[in-house]
Parts: sequence; structure tokens; C-alpha cells
Amino acid sequence: MVYIRDNIKGGALTETTFLVLLAVYTPNHGYGIMQFIENETNGRVVLGAGTLYGAINTLVKKKWIAPSGNEFDSKKKEYVITGLGKQKAEEELKRIVEVWKLASTIIKGDRIT
Amino acid sequence: MSRTVLRYFFDFLDEQEKWLNSMAKCGYRLKKCGIMTYTFDECKPNEYEYAIEFVGDRAYSKAKDYRRYLEDMGFRTFTKNINWNLSYGKIRWRPYAKGMGHISTSPGGFNKELLILEKKKDGKPFELYTDVSDKLNAYKSVKRTYVWAVLMMIGLSAITFIPNVSSLSPAMTWVLRAVILFFSILFVIPMVKYFSLVNQLKEESKTFD
Repeated sequence: MVYIRDNIKGGALTETTFLVLLAVYTPNHGYGIMQFIENETNGRVVLGAGTLYGAINTLVKKKWIAPSGNEFDSKKKEYVITGLGKQKAEEELKRIVEVWKLASTIIKGDRIT
Repeated sequence: MSRTVLRYFFDFLDEQEKWLNSMAKCGYRLKKCGIMTYTFDECKPNEYEYAIEFVGDRAYSKAKDYRRYLEDMGFRTFTKNINWNLSYGKIRWRPYAKGMGHISTSPGGFNKELLILEKKKDGKPFELYTDVSDKLNAYKSVKRTYVWAVLMMIGLSAITFIPNVSSLSPAMTWVLRAVILFFSILFVIPMVKYFSLVNQLKEESKTFD
């Protein structure tokens, strides 16, 4: 089986990472993040609770997102994107636009001829 | 009407989950669980569904944080033991935990190796992990637990072969060995199953990654 992994220096984020970052531009809790992703992708991406928990904790460890508000609050724990996280999300957007431009020129060009 | 059922699962993950779901299908909703008992309340058939997650390899504080998170996600959660509480001490070493193993202390993670999650049936599959590598890690930690259970059984039976270690008569020693062998088989069966599940997922992760 031949399979292709992402280029190390390509800098692409996984889709899950990018979507979680987008979900916490305004403070959001676990359930809200899950709903956001499911709604915004029209159900194409549905994250399991365990997988999302792992993703949140990884991003907190990387300091791309941070818990917001009082941690000992009885309310649901909320997360918000950090400056570093925003920087990563912006880089990803730039990368996607580049790929999109390249793909649309070639794919459209091919259709005309 | 509540109903209490006595059960013990050697395959604590899949078989227990299947059983709880079949109970829910027949209109029984889990109310509480003890070491070997489950108490159910009557409910509408097919109203709830269950999933089981092994958290025995996590430190108590982390398992607690995870439980709180799942409650926030809207699941009802129960904790459950995976073994009989046979030790007298209050400290138990969990060799199956990652790294050097965690020491679990009462009243912490002790006897709370499993989380039973309940959600209302909504037509969507009850999947906790939607990522092959996450699934793989979850099964790996279950597999590791069974490997340790089998190793302990081998250790126990080895002790019976040390001369003069106990005051049991030769006949009783053989009975003891038979009992140990019986339980070893009950642990070996799920161990083999989780070994093959892990291998299957490893193959899958090669195609998807």
C-alpha cells in the first residue's frame, strides 16, 4: 500500500486543528465547539467527544488556545484562541488560499481547452 | 420499578457495552452500578444508548477532568471497576498505566477504571473517537491491561510450584492451579481479541493517515 503523508515543511494544519481554532475565536465550551464544527461543515466533519478532548488538550499545551474565565467556576469550561493560535490560523488561511489559487487556475484552465 | 442484576464481564469493554445497550433496547436504563451489580430503572425501549471508556491508565485528576468534560458535553456518566476488590491495602499499583505505572490511591481512581457514558438516542452513532490513531490508542491501553492480567496469572501459578511455599496438600495445590488456569483463560480470550483489533486498526491507519 502506497500512502502519502503531508510534507514536513509544508506547515499544513490538520483539518480538526484548524476547525477547533476557528470555533474558539469567541470563547466556547466543548459542546459548543463540537456543534460549531458540525454545523459549519454541514455535518461533513463530526468529532467524537474523546477525539475533541484530545484535540483541545493538545492545543492548550501548545498555547494556541487557553481556558477562559475562572477554572473553578461551576460553569462549563470555556476556551479561547490565543495570539499564537491566531497567528497559526492566519498562516493556514494564507496557505489554503495559495493552494486554492493554484488549483483553480489549473482545473479551470483544463476545462476551457 | 427498579431491577438489580448481578454480572461480571471479563471482556469489560465491548461485551459490557453490548449488554448495556441490549438492556436499553428492552427498556432498562442504568441507575447505578456496584462492584458486580447493575441497577436499572424502566424506561421507553430504545431511548438511551451506552458507550464504555477505559480510563484506568490515566492519573486520577486527569480521569476526573475528563469525566467533568463529558458531563459538560451532555452525557450521563457512571464509574465502574474492572476487577474485584480483593486487595486489603488502600494503595494499588497499576502496572498497565503508561510509563512507570501509576499508583492509584483510595478514594481516587481506585475501582473507577471505567466510565460508562449514557446519551439519548439521536440517530447518530455513539462514537467517542473519530480518529483512527485515537481509537488505536484506546484499544492499546485496554490490550496492555489484559497482558498484565495474564502475566499476573502466570506469576501466581509460578508461585505454586515453589516447594514448601504453602501449607496446602498436593491435591489442594492442583485445585488451586486449576482455578488459576481457569481465570487465565478468561483473561486470555479478550487479550487475543484486543490484540487483533489493534492490528486491524494499525492496518487501517496506514491507508488513512
